[in-house]
Amino acid sequence: MYNLIKMNLYRMSKAVSTKVIAIVWIFLTLFNFGVMKIVVDDPFNIMSEADKATLATSSVASDLIQSLFVSSNFLIILSVFVVLFANAEHKCGFDKNLIGITNHKWKHALARWISAVIGMTVLMVVSSLIYLGTCALFLNAFELGSLATLAKVCGIVYMGMVTFSAIFFFFTTLFKSSAGGLVPSLIISLGILFMIEKLLDFLFNKVFGSTDYVPSDFLFDSKFLNFDMDAGRNAIIFLGVLCLVYTVLTVGGSMLLQQRRDVK
Amino acid sequence: MEYLLETDNITKIYGKITAVDHVNLHLEKGEIYGLIGRNGAGKTTLLKMLAGLAKPTEGSYSIFGEPEKQTAKLRDRIGVLIEGPGLYPNMTAYENMKIKSLILGMNDDNFIKELLADVGLERNIDKLKVKQYSLGMKQRLGIAMTLIGHPDLLLLDEPINGLDPQGIVEIRELIARLSKERNITILVSSHILEELSKIATRYGILHNGQLIDEFTHGELLRRCRERIEIRPSDATKAVTVIEGMGITEYKVLDKSVIQIFERLEDSGEIVLELAKNNIKTLSIAVKNEALEDYYLSITGGAGKKE
Repeated sequence: MYNLIKMNLYRMSKAVSTKVIAIVWIFLTLFNFGVMKIVVDDPFNIMSEADKATLATSSVASDLIQSLFVSSNFLIILSVFVVLFANAEHKCGFDKNLIGITNHKWKHALARWISAVIGMTVLMVVSSLIYLGTCALFLNAFELGSLATLAKVCGIVYMGMVTFSAIFFFFTTLFKSSAGGLVPSLIISLGILFMIEKLLDFLFNKVFGSTDYVPSDFLFDSKFLNFDMDAGRNAIIFLGVLCLVYTVLTVGGSMLLQQRRDVK
Repeated sequence: MEYLLETDNITKIYGKITAVDHVNLHLEKGEIYGLIGRNGAGKTTLLKMLAGLAKPTEGSYSIFGEPEKQTAKLRDRIGVLIEGPGLYPNMTAYENMKIKSLILGMNDDNFIKELLADVGLERNIDKLKVKQYSLGMKQRLGIAMTLIGHPDLLLLDEPINGLDPQGIVEIRELIARLSKERNITILVSSHILEELSKIATRYGILHNGQLIDEFTHGELLRRCRERIEIRPSDATKAVTVIEGMGITEYKVLDKSVIQIFERLEDSGEIVLELAKNNIKTLSIAVKNEALEDYYLSITGGAGKKE
């Protein structure tokens, strides 16, 4: 398993797609900073008091991290990264050189996902440092805030992104193509699924009457994208369990598919 | 006899299609085994099963004397090149080689350079991207990839497919050299018997998923060589007469046709001798077959659809 992860990280470091995605994401991170600078500091004096009241955005570190990652922008970048990385081996036929080496084909899927998570982690850490660093240096209104809150938000965001990566990885393994992986991943990233889920909630309430229970409470993307970072311990634990269940199911499903399917 | 690779009624069924049908293949150590069959005969599917890329629907196989389920630890002794070289086009030859060597836990880089030099790819290995390679160079790189981990067995699927005559010669010589110098056992598939006949020591003919014949190189030459083919009224009696004439190199096919491989200029004398013994000669011809004709004759002709 160690060798498999090492091999995957090597190929990730050499892949053109990794470099392009990293550059695009760093650019978007700096773009986010630019928008924050204009909205929060208003350096060109272009906003009226009414605009400022409407656009008022928190410049506390924990809120900045949340706004950077819990967004369509990062989810799209993440989905493209995971899908391309997960499918690259199969797309060029390199898997035929490797899969037969071990009888435990599922290890290849697990190692690929772990490597994708490592790549995502590096991307998140680097972009967080760049974002917080530029904000601390150039955003007048920047506040570090509570370190405990920052750590909590970072933990929740990271947990959510690990789960998203597992879901994107599963779709890619299931459809064995970049397009097959990207379509459902983008449906999730762009919030289209979220809207469908809200419609389901509405229909559910129409059919069963108003209840405390709504289906989207158990749907990961809906729960995570609407999560209140100030929520209490129980809500965080519930989200953690949901993340764990979705991650185990999707990664386990990917491993099972890899083990049972022939390499074509 | 213990074989390095042996299949026992190995079968692969995709839906309603039987791609490989109860194949019993035998491969001895040090051999170059030529697996011949048309496109769609089941060669790739068979090799994929042996390479651990596909699971047999029925039957089993053993490699290095170990049954299929216990081959996990032996898999790194097998080099595989299936359906063309699977390479990352945007990476260099060195990087592609490095990826496979990492999975086998080989961190020494020198052997990568040695292997690439061995297949004639020592130039620009860390500069030129694989997408800039010719098909022949990619095939050679694919073969170099199979050599990572010092394998004892190579499974090569159509390594000369799509190559120009020069490329075919290069790959053929490379395969022969690997077998000789490194003592690697090689199972190589192709639909061109003529090409395989220049390197293989043993052959298997795969047709419609079935292994319809297995023979040695010597036997192939014998089958294709010039001969008198005679159809007597009584083959058993005719054999006695032929032996009486001092002919020893002959073969009886289907209990009715006798192939005589010596004294080819004496066909008239043979007919006369048979007649003296009251044996009618129903037909007689001097034949020799090109390898491809021979192959077509045993697989049912070029025009027959699968």
